[in-house]
Amino acid sequence: QMIFNADEAHNIVKEVVIESVLGKADYNHNKVNQWTAAIVEQSLTHLVKLGKTYKYIVTCAVMQRSGAGLHTASSCFWDTTTDGTCTVRWENRTMNCIVNVFAVAIIL
Amino acid sequence: GCKFDAGQVQQVLEGALASALGTMVYSPQGSAPLAQSLAELLRSQAKEVVPPRYKLVCHVLLGQQGQQSLLVASRALWDPESDSFASATFSNTSLFAVATVHGVYFE
Repeated sequence: QMIFNADEAHNIVKEVVIESVLGKADYNHNKVNQWTAAIVEQSLTHLVKLGKTYKYIVTCAVMQRSGAGLHTASSCFWDTTTDGTCTVRWENRTMNCIVNVFAVAIIL
Repeated sequence: GCKFDAGQVQQVLEGALASALGTMVYSPQGSAPLAQSLAELLRSQAKEVVPPRYKLVCHVLLGQQGQQSLLVASRALWDPESDSFASATFSNTSLFAVATVHGVYFE
């Protein structure tokens, strides 16, 4: 029986993906589109390399740090024994980034 | 069977967000539980219009309306024949919300 390894996914997204895309950059309205695209695409690529039979959904929100509050929540209808999620929060001086990974098991 | 109807789900999301948030004011303590209950509400409302055998992932972002900019993106690895998603936004002078529902067909 497969179980989603949230720690493994968290590590991949935070250390490998976000750090390399946003790293030391400052918030830049013109670059946000390519940053979020790069983060979700690279996350998916790395997750697929794990070789598990899951469908994945990855969401990414990048917000300029201006003192405003932000909350995210999710609710899922799925098989709790095989499916799972992990949330990665990252920030630097000028921006916040929240990435959610949802893994939905498939039966081959 | 039938497929995930993105247009219909989007309408459900827009209606639910507007009626739940209407004239709501952002508050740091209240918004965290509000985001969670919104996610659950939207997920159950979407479930009613989505065909059986679909697993659903509902995600809500709720934030304070300020001078900041925000971009939300998502990608999925799935079967494009059967799987899809819908999203909706809401904003008033005090807060904004972005909701997405992804539907994944389960064989």
